[in-house]
Amino acid sequence: MIDILTVQIIAALLFCIGVAVALVRRNIFFVLMGVELALNATNLSFIGFSRTFSGSASMVGQIVPLFSIAVAAAEACVGLAMVILIFRARESLDSESFTSLKE
Amino acid sequence: MIAQIYFSVFATLALACALYLLVARHPLYGALSLIGTMLSLAGIYSLLSAPFLGVVQVLTYAGAIMMLVVFVIMVLNSSHDHVVPRFDSRGFILLLVPAVLSACLLYVLHTTHPLVDAGAIQGSAEAVSIQLFNTSQQGSGAWILFEFIGLLLLAAMVSAVVLAKKHLDKKDCV
Repeated sequence: MIDILTVQIIAALLFCIGVAVALVRRNIFFVLMGVELALNATNLSFIGFSRTFSGSASMVGQIVPLFSIAVAAAEACVGLAMVILIFRARESLDSESFTSLKE
Repeated sequence: MIAQIYFSVFATLALACALYLLVARHPLYGALSLIGTMLSLAGIYSLLSAPFLGVVQVLTYAGAIMMLVVFVIMVLNSSHDHVVPRFDSRGFILLLVPAVLSACLLYVLHTTHPLVDAGAIQGSAEAVSIQLFNTSQQGSGAWILFEFIGLLLLAAMVSAVVLAKKHLDKKDCV
């Protein structure tokens, strides 16, 4: 039997790696992919905890990740469209070059 | 026992691919390692008695979303990708945030003892759809959310098309 605590620890580590990727990397694609990784980690946490309930309550924990996957699809769609727009305006994928608000 | 072995293999693969995403040089390699993470997470979902979600993960995440990401990376393949330094110079201070976050999460998890309930349902496609489309008063009401997700995806598709299309001159439009 798989230990739920181990699943939750893996989910926490994956979430923190995702946040680290989104914060530290400069290429804008890595920022997007870090957010995707963090979303995946929360899905894993939901499914792990759904095993600790019985009956139909355990199914609710498996339905929430379905919606979260759909929202992630919408987010990736709009996010990539914005990346294309930014790249056309600046000819760069470096997040350091998107600082026109600072100047 | 064999489930335990599969679980450790999938968990190690997921963590290793996620760590490679942190240090990868080219976004394409990062995207491929992220696909590896998502596929091993799909395996873990199946082991946690959610096989339907595992299939949805492979179809939607590893299939559709990552296909879109890889496609856009290839379309926007800028030649000076390798010249740009990988890490933000001041960003290493920001690494404290996930470090403190993971320390807090691990401490909280260490104090709890979640146990597997024997009455948990195997999440097959049938069981998930019975729960999802239960329109009776006693149901969870998730079918309303399902309708709104359809609206959200349509709005996202329309906005992506409007944002990313090239602005053509009026006379060029046919």
